[in-house]
Amino acid sequence: MHPVHESMLQSRRDFLATSANGVGLLALASLLQGEGLLQASGGGKQGETPVAVLKKPHFAPKAKNCICIYLEGAPSQLDLFDPKPKLNELHGQKLPESLTKNVRFAFLQKETARVLGSNRTWKKHGQCGMELSDLLPRLGTVADDVCLIRSMHTEAFNHHPGQLLMNTGSTMFARPSMGSWMTYGLGSEGKNLPGYVVLNAGRGTSGGTSNWGSGFLPSTHAGVLFRNKGEPVLNLNNPGGLTAAMQGVTVEAVRDLNGIRHATVGDPEINARISAYELAYKMQSAAPELIDISGEDRKTLDEYGLDRPEPEIKAARGGGKGEFRAFAANCLLARRLVERGTRFVSLFHASWDHHSNLDVELPHNCLMADQPVAALITDLKRRGLLDSTLVLWLSEFGRTPLGENRGGSTNVTGRDHHPFAFTIWAAGGGIKGGQVIGKTDDLGWNVVEDPIHVNDLHATVLHLFGLDHLKLTYKFQGRDFRLTDVGGNVVKKLLK
Amino acid sequence: MPNRTHLIFPAVALLLATAGADDKKPVPKLPPAAEGKIDFDADIKPILAAHCVKCHGPFRQRGGLRLDNAAHAKEGGNTGSVIAPGKSAESTLIHAIAGTDPNLQMPPKDKRLTDAEIGKFRAWIDQGAKWGGAIAVLDAEGKSNHWAFQPINRPKIPKGITHPIDAFVLLRLDKEGLSPSVEADRATLIRRVSLDLTGLPPTPEEVDAFLKDTSANAYEKVVDRLLASPHYGERWGRHWLDSARYADSDGYEKDTGRPFAWRYRDWVINSLNADMPFDQFTVEQLAGDLLPNSTSQQKTATGFHRNTLTNKEGGVDQEEFRVAAVVDRVSTTGKVWLGLTVGCAQCHDHKYDPVSQREFYQLLAFFNSDKEVDIAAPLAGEAERLKKEQAAFDMEKEKLQTAVAEAKEKKLPDADLKKREAALAAHLKKAPAGAKAPTLALGPARPTHVMLRGDFLRKGVEVKPGTPGVLPKSTGATRLDLANWIVSKDNPLTARVTANWVWAKFFGRGLVNTPDDYGTQGEKPSHPELLDWLASELRDGGWSLKKFHKLIVTSATYKQSSAVKPDAIKRDPLNVLLARQQRLRLEAELMRDNALAASGLLSRTVGGPSIRPPQPPGISELTYANSAKWVETTGPDRYKRGLYIWFQRTSPYPMLTAFDSPDSNVCVVRRERSNTPLQALTLLNDAVFVEAAQALGKRVLTEQKDATDADRITRTFRLCFGRLPLEAESERLAKLLTQFRKLTASDPDGAAKLLGSHKPAVVSAPEAAAWVALARTLMNLDEFVTRE
Repeated sequence: MHPVHESMLQSRRDFLATSANGVGLLALASLLQGEGLLQASGGGKQGETPVAVLKKPHFAPKAKNCICIYLEGAPSQLDLFDPKPKLNELHGQKLPESLTKNVRFAFLQKETARVLGSNRTWKKHGQCGMELSDLLPRLGTVADDVCLIRSMHTEAFNHHPGQLLMNTGSTMFARPSMGSWMTYGLGSEGKNLPGYVVLNAGRGTSGGTSNWGSGFLPSTHAGVLFRNKGEPVLNLNNPGGLTAAMQGVTVEAVRDLNGIRHATVGDPEINARISAYELAYKMQSAAPELIDISGEDRKTLDEYGLDRPEPEIKAARGGGKGEFRAFAANCLLARRLVERGTRFVSLFHASWDHHSNLDVELPHNCLMADQPVAALITDLKRRGLLDSTLVLWLSEFGRTPLGENRGGSTNVTGRDHHPFAFTIWAAGGGIKGGQVIGKTDDLGWNVVEDPIHVNDLHATVLHLFGLDHLKLTYKFQGRDFRLTDVGGNVVKKLLK
Repeated sequence: MPNRTHLIFPAVALLLATAGADDKKPVPKLPPAAEGKIDFDADIKPILAAHCVKCHGPFRQRGGLRLDNAAHAKEGGNTGSVIAPGKSAESTLIHAIAGTDPNLQMPPKDKRLTDAEIGKFRAWIDQGAKWGGAIAVLDAEGKSNHWAFQPINRPKIPKGITHPIDAFVLLRLDKEGLSPSVEADRATLIRRVSLDLTGLPPTPEEVDAFLKDTSANAYEKVVDRLLASPHYGERWGRHWLDSARYADSDGYEKDTGRPFAWRYRDWVINSLNADMPFDQFTVEQLAGDLLPNSTSQQKTATGFHRNTLTNKEGGVDQEEFRVAAVVDRVSTTGKVWLGLTVGCAQCHDHKYDPVSQREFYQLLAFFNSDKEVDIAAPLAGEAERLKKEQAAFDMEKEKLQTAVAEAKEKKLPDADLKKREAALAAHLKKAPAGAKAPTLALGPARPTHVMLRGDFLRKGVEVKPGTPGVLPKSTGATRLDLANWIVSKDNPLTARVTANWVWAKFFGRGLVNTPDDYGTQGEKPSHPELLDWLASELRDGGWSLKKFHKLIVTSATYKQSSAVKPDAIKRDPLNVLLARQQRLRLEAELMRDNALAASGLLSRTVGGPSIRPPQPPGISELTYANSAKWVETTGPDRYKRGLYIWFQRTSPYPMLTAFDSPDSNVCVVRRERSNTPLQALTLLNDAVFVEAAQALGKRVLTEQKDATDADRITRTFRLCFGRLPLEAESERLAKLLTQFRKLTASDPDGAAKLLGSHKPAVVSAPEAAAWVALARTLMNLDEFVTRE
């Protein structure tokens, strides 16, 4: 066979091999038959369960699943993760021009900008003594599992490009997201659920669906948006008045009639469609089962804080009332998805873009996120899943040590976008917990030790899944594309 | 991608500035080495390619020196080694380019390198003089031997077969020992050609008429009717809108709506319906504004390049996103007409194809002085309406102004005055505005520089407008000159690329299967002679797309059956050799069109603003700050075709994306065709498809009063597929009807609910619901979503 054809057939196989995102073994078998690679056996057997086809990683993986918690807008690292007493010393003062000279800001007026101290108090946590602010007490309880990275940097300083870079490895549109690369590279173990699921709380992110798109990879690798209430997957419910029995009869008839058509035209694609319908039918019960948390015990629900009281807040940036429960439920659903084999779970929450009102809104958001995120790590650990589940806390950049004086305003209550140094963290899945990586200067302005670029982070994440970021490629427009674009080095210090 | 280091270490610039001080010696001093890590491909290769290899390359070796690859450069020239790795100050090359020896100054004449460039060479040598890939060097005239760049020579048609396409295809099949398939049956054929040319299925009556027509040109008559249909422009317009990355919103963050983007879409539909020659179609879209006495329509055509993304995010650098849009215009033009991935050369010389970074910016220079202008483009009858509205507006304004004046005069309480002022201010915001059209126009001249590593802040040398040297030369420096050059006879790419693009829509794959890459990394054509014959036919036949379509769909190759033949699928699994037609899953928009057509709900109105049919809740809430409110369209417009659905870039209509419609952020010349459970759920349960099933159920119950079950089943089947059902299919459907009747009879309330707003008066709810369920089943069959 011509190598090009072979590679095309390979990509067809890839696309069929992603479990509930694609079709399944049944369709694969029929495709191989079509290729003359399997002995003909009268088409796919009806009623057979489609089984996910897993693909081998490049080397032995540490992690099998990923939960990526994305806090849209850029949480202030200077008020959460990276204490800078110097800022309080210099509060209200100008910074030397040498520092700000060639730097671009989104809103900040360089000429009149002043250092903004932090009102947070700091405490050491765990045996490792990780310093975190008073807004993240629960995260402190799992500090020994967390690897805090204070030396992230990026080149994007506007939200949407920044989000694209963090989620897809490039500021350009139409590139596959991390989860898409993962299901493309590895498939998924989930039999009746998609391999890449997205959960959202709060208002939408500025990146919208481009943050979980499959770019030039087949659309079977795109993230599938689940909702944590009502209909969990778009169009999952039968139309009003159409009973489960009628749906069963329908799917049966679709199979039979498609079978008759197949006998006439012999196209293996018809078998793939038969499988797709059977899988869809199975998802109709698997997805509600997933979001039905009535089987979870009270203790678990309380740990995640599903029913916590939600304080009132007057702010336009949040998603309004109800996000405490939604965010907590998403953390719990992430665990349930991992238990059911879903390869990559993305949690989004917007917004942490505190240009102003920082000391009111950041505590509110942290109150929402701190408990369920810590509970997720504890819960995964208790169930023996943390070793194989990578948990990430990400955002697109950090916030400035300078107060934001938009339009020359003197009422400074927030911070601007800061791409040169920010903090993220990772836990589980082969990450060496209980350590702080990287250092920033006294102002938190620049990275002074172990700079880690977004591409480096992605290279490391793929490495944990047994994937070589240089080898996980997809040919598009004559070029081999990678998640890490043209950069990326595995950061060994992060690994166990 | 922009350079990272300059963002992290702003102090570098300062160091460079102080190092410039000079202590006045007669001989020029060596400029200092550049700071930071040098990347050969990005920093050195472009300079070597532009300034050195012409005289020091494979075709000429002045001084015995070659600088086009590592091995030769290492050998040095007639005077010996010129590069001493690690020691730039001791390298002859550096002294030559710095001109320290008056007898050896390179490059000669006035083309000297800048100190910054010399500094880069120094740093590169100091860092070990590591080479990347060889520098692509063309022959002495700058020509390449790659197939796609060669002139199109119209090949001779193989003898013995009437239709030229069949002659080429059969010759190849014969060679491979394969035979073509029989002609598809007539019902299949008319459905195929109707879907391909108009995107809509034939009605059962149209099928019958064709079945009965025994005249020799029965098929040709159908083709002519379809080509003359106004729906032709919708079908092919949608194909083109993929290339134009058409959408109804800005893209970035707030993703603001573009209320008049559709004016360009209408232009596309109308132009295709009028069979505007493709060369004119091209020129008007790229430079309609620059045509002498250009009309409003010609200006509207330039909306093609107004579909670029816009970022209105707070705090963005406007210049950054202006440049991004211009870069996209260059990349898109390169991909759509030239089939080249010129976008690769934004940051560095193209790795594989002979397009240098400098040439990318020469192309960019054609677009760099453009400005975005929304012109007033009144709709038919609008002027009159506007006049009336303006009069009413003025009258109300006067009234409110008087009220304010009165309040001031009579010293009414403050609250009253404020109220009246507020009413006036609110009214002033509602001034009537006419329809507009987004266009591109020439702005003040803006010099174009190479952007180092694609970073808009790092300006390199200035360049003038120009086309890639590997292709025949362009004359002139305007966008209009570029457009004329693109469609000129000398440029072999446009005709090949367009012929292949059209071909792929009819067969599911192109003769060149990498329609976005005709460069050296792309695939070679499967039928090179056929491709060139088609390209010359298109170009020399007056660029008529309709003529070209007719040529293709009247070939036996097109008309043959798509049934899979066991022997052929083993030999040629991807059907490259065309021993049969190809079964193709319909495009996203056509899924909905076909469901609406079968049910009778479809509105066939052509053109007009975008519509918002029902979509599941929680979709537009995904956008930034819920900025894209989805207010459902009411009335018949709600049932207009899929290409009219409002495309919100950050929360696209989910049915469209489920069936692989492009995200519209970058141009797409070939769509994916996936097959997923989410598609099954969409067809089974999405509100649009459920309503179509309801209407189809009602339609077959009410259309014929005294029909039998069997008649009605046949009718439903034919509305969906055109053809008559096989016996096995009729039987299975009869059984299904019985099953549904049993289930709906036991649940009359549910049955009533299932009918939605399409309850037929003639039968009971359970009976009607059984037919809805049956219609829904048919619309979920593979054949329904497939062009056979």
